[in-house]
Amino acid sequence: MPTVVLMDVSLSMTRPVSLDGIEEFQRKNLAVHGLNMLFEHMASNYRLEFTSLMAFSSLWELLVPFTRDYNALQEALSNLEDYDKTCVEAALNGVSNVVQQEWGSACPCQVVLVTDGSLGIGKGSLRHSLQTLKQRGDDKKFPLPFPFPTKLFIMCIANAEELQMTDAMDNLEELLCLSGGDGQIFTMEGPLCMKSVQTMFGKLIDLVYSPFHAVLHCGNLSSDVQVFPRPEPVVMDEEVEPMPRTVSTDLEIVGFIEIADIASPPVISRHLVLPIAVNKDVDEVGTGTTDELEEEPSASQMAGKSPNFCVLLHGSLKVEGMVALVQLGPEWYGMLYSQADSKKKSNLMMSLFDPGPEPLPWLGKISHLGPISEAADNPYGEDDSKSPFPVQPQVKRSYAQNVTVWIKASGLQCLRLLKCFLSLIKKRLTIKKCPPTVKFM
Amino acid sequence: MLFPDREALPSQGFHQICKMKMFSVAHKTVFVVDHCPYMAESSRQQVECDVLTKSRAQGVIPLAPVSKSLWTCAVECSMEYCRILYDVYPKDKLVNYIVSDSEFHILNSWRREDQSTHELMSALAAVGPPNPREDPECCSILHGLVAAVESLCKITELQHEKRIALMDTADRVANRGRIICLTNAKSDTHVRMLEDCIQETIIEQNKLAAGSDRLMAIQQCELVLVHIYPQGEDTLVSDRPKKEISPLLTSEVHSVRAGRHLATKLNILVQQHFDLASTTITNIPMKEEQHANTSANYDVELLHHRDAHLEFFKSGDLHMAGTSTRENGLKETVTLKWCTPRTNSIELHYCTGAYRISPTDVNSRPSSCLTNFLLNGKLDSSQFLPAERAKAQLERHTRYWPMIISQTTIFNMQAVVPLANLIVKETLTDEDVLTCQKTVYNLVDMERKNDPLPISTVGSRGKGPKRDEQYRIMWNELETLVKTHAGATDRHQRVLDCIIACRSKPPEEEDRKKRGRKREEREDRTEKNGSKETDDKSWQDSERLKGLMDKDEQESEVIKDSPDSPEPLNKKPRLTSEEIQPPERTKGPVSLLTMWSNRITAVNSRKHQEFFGRASSVNSKFELYQHLKDENGMDVHENGKATR
Repeated sequence: MPTVVLMDVSLSMTRPVSLDGIEEFQRKNLAVHGLNMLFEHMASNYRLEFTSLMAFSSLWELLVPFTRDYNALQEALSNLEDYDKTCVEAALNGVSNVVQQEWGSACPCQVVLVTDGSLGIGKGSLRHSLQTLKQRGDDKKFPLPFPFPTKLFIMCIANAEELQMTDAMDNLEELLCLSGGDGQIFTMEGPLCMKSVQTMFGKLIDLVYSPFHAVLHCGNLSSDVQVFPRPEPVVMDEEVEPMPRTVSTDLEIVGFIEIADIASPPVISRHLVLPIAVNKDVDEVGTGTTDELEEEPSASQMAGKSPNFCVLLHGSLKVEGMVALVQLGPEWYGMLYSQADSKKKSNLMMSLFDPGPEPLPWLGKISHLGPISEAADNPYGEDDSKSPFPVQPQVKRSYAQNVTVWIKASGLQCLRLLKCFLSLIKKRLTIKKCPPTVKFM
Repeated sequence: MLFPDREALPSQGFHQICKMKMFSVAHKTVFVVDHCPYMAESSRQQVECDVLTKSRAQGVIPLAPVSKSLWTCAVECSMEYCRILYDVYPKDKLVNYIVSDSEFHILNSWRREDQSTHELMSALAAVGPPNPREDPECCSILHGLVAAVESLCKITELQHEKRIALMDTADRVANRGRIICLTNAKSDTHVRMLEDCIQETIIEQNKLAAGSDRLMAIQQCELVLVHIYPQGEDTLVSDRPKKEISPLLTSEVHSVRAGRHLATKLNILVQQHFDLASTTITNIPMKEEQHANTSANYDVELLHHRDAHLEFFKSGDLHMAGTSTRENGLKETVTLKWCTPRTNSIELHYCTGAYRISPTDVNSRPSSCLTNFLLNGKLDSSQFLPAERAKAQLERHTRYWPMIISQTTIFNMQAVVPLANLIVKETLTDEDVLTCQKTVYNLVDMERKNDPLPISTVGSRGKGPKRDEQYRIMWNELETLVKTHAGATDRHQRVLDCIIACRSKPPEEEDRKKRGRKREEREDRTEKNGSKETDDKSWQDSERLKGLMDKDEQESEVIKDSPDSPEPLNKKPRLTSEEIQPPERTKGPVSLLTMWSNRITAVNSRKHQEFFGRASSVNSKFELYQHLKDENGMDVHENGKATR
């Protein structure tokens, strides 16, 4: 899930933070510190995330397009300039454009808005935007909700009390609500300082950017893996099952099936499955330790040298043209498969099906599938000429039956009708030996 | 007859996953259809039957047009509603069909097996057309409406299952429903009377439901009253949009002319009620049976869950895809042009949604051509076993699974395949055991002939291990594989026994080998860092052996042959053990005669059931009259019975 960092570079961000004299910071410095921390974390633990950096005041500018080069992002942070006033609406329009250009409207996206909570004045201020929300034409619609699924995280370089003194907090909450409600507003606790900004970004990291580690099992074989991006909890039915379902950290392969049989099934999300080293100590060191790594091989490098089940699985799926069905939790399944990036490179990927015992109607209940060897006759035939799929429904759909609908005169099809009558007549003649009468129902 | 141009069609069907609140009003739909005498009146929409002018012989009187009754129109359009509903939601969107005249007739129940158009059609056929001679005073739609409310209180299988599953939070299972009433009302006042009556019945029934396990109080009821009147007459009832009668009941009135207007109305209603939308696939190439060389293009309209259009709306591509508004402006369809993707079925494509479909015009020629093609050849269904068995199989197959090709010998050998394939089975037949044994004998033969083994020389210096060492590695690996399964059944154990027995060498050969190997070992030890460990192990093993020497010779034989144990210091026990070994187990390199006789025995044994005595023999010996030992046991008793 790509991330857009939207950094407020208005003048208000240069307000100094009042501290007991030691060293003077601007709010901007705190924000940059927090973002550096986020980028460092991502570089070492979430490095596959594509992140872009935008700065905004009354105008917006894309400083770094979507990249995995976290040095470039940090570099850009260190060169921020100060501009005029805050105009959130314009910036959000910018986000909408940038994301749609790169990812289209189907890819979920995370937006991290970093601001001090002074949201502009007069026309172009967030307050003004929200007040005029309903008086707009189609061409000047407010950018939220974005056309793509969004998680909006608002990082306030201010504490909650400060924001509640004005209507800033209310406006931000409304903004979050408009974006679809998925996300959170973070504020700083206690005095504004490096430590409290670290705490705030730490919470964001824990919530959104902590890597999802799991163990992939296949009988007695297993491998520690990272699933990227982290699978999101799924709510099935708000009324009956309001608790979101989460993917288990034990992923268990239940079997293998031909690609033709699973037939490009609908999925709710797709993830890379990457083998990881069990010992993560070395990995945690983060950036700037490349010299040390050469002396002492990192855990991931060590992992590269020992045989890994993921490699075996990926290779096998690719060669055999099959996918592995994997259980993600109670009555929740997904599939593992090899996805080609290019001609030379391919990855092991996992797609999640809709939760439930029967996510793909043409396979029937997943729990009813079993090994070929246990079937009385090979369901694929001895020469692999047939397939047990799609599984036939117990009740045939109307289009698989000889239904007759006479609503339209064309549907009446007189020929068919007459044939029908004739057969009735014949039956009657033979059985009852009496002249036929035909009644409409 | 149309049939599809095969080359031009992809082989993919349409499928659906959909999201709707589980117990929304759509969970329960009650149809109440008027069966009173006035419903026997003609709809006055004419149906031409006389279309056979060309083929008809002269002198035959032309067929007069016919006309459906109001009842027929009501039945047809309600069945269409159900057909579409069941196609798109094969489960848990339920219909209860009630017919009302001088009393009510409930044609089916909420049970899943009662949910099909076929069931309903049979029941309707039994009901027959309204009797025009019945006393109109006794007949009323009210009987049916009261029954409908009672029916909505009845718990469905899904409600029951969920209530049980949720236990403490069973109150999350809601009870909502919809009543679709097809009738010929007398006036707006009459309609209001019907509404009031339903409202009162709901309150009454909810009181009853409070004291019952099998009934649930109605939380929300939607009444859709469709007033049907013959064409060419003025309606006596006015249309009215949905309004709230009480917090429990909403009501809407549709006043519709019978015939195709009524059919269109119910088609619109089923779309509204079940979140459906329409897509028309245009330009589908199909061939005419008479002109198989040319293919013409046809359009097919499909109904499906409206989420299928979500992506279009989001990306704003809907204008590109094209929408068209038809007839009354209520019904829209998205048109998609058929394209024939040159895809092969072994590619996975990213798919965000799959939706069940129902053709709007199910028996039009293009529709049935398309659906027949999509369903073609997919009528084979087979019984499958639970996934837990699959997991168990995976577990068995992965008990011993070398990940690196160069680190395995047996999985690089064609000769081992039969055994490796069989040993992972949950149970083995006697035949399987024989096959395994034959595999082992074959390996023994290979060893005798000194055949090369596919042992990797990567990583080892020089030419790699000597041939006898190669075989030792191979036997060890085979034993490791089989040992992981030996505990499963006696037959698995017999395979292991066979390996253990076969790999033992006659002493003189063993001796010769030992001398050679000792030299190697010495070299090894000077090279290896772990020599101390090896020393310790061999010391332990030799200590163990000393202890065993006094014991059962057979056991010491087993120990001797366990994979990594060193040669015993003393040869004596083995000499004695060899005498005791059953002849068929003295395997090592066997003579041609032995192999031949083994083979013949094996073949013969397949022709008859193995004698009980031989099958459960120990060292080819079986104690007779065992039951006599057990003098006061069940056996004697049973024996006595058997002789009688």
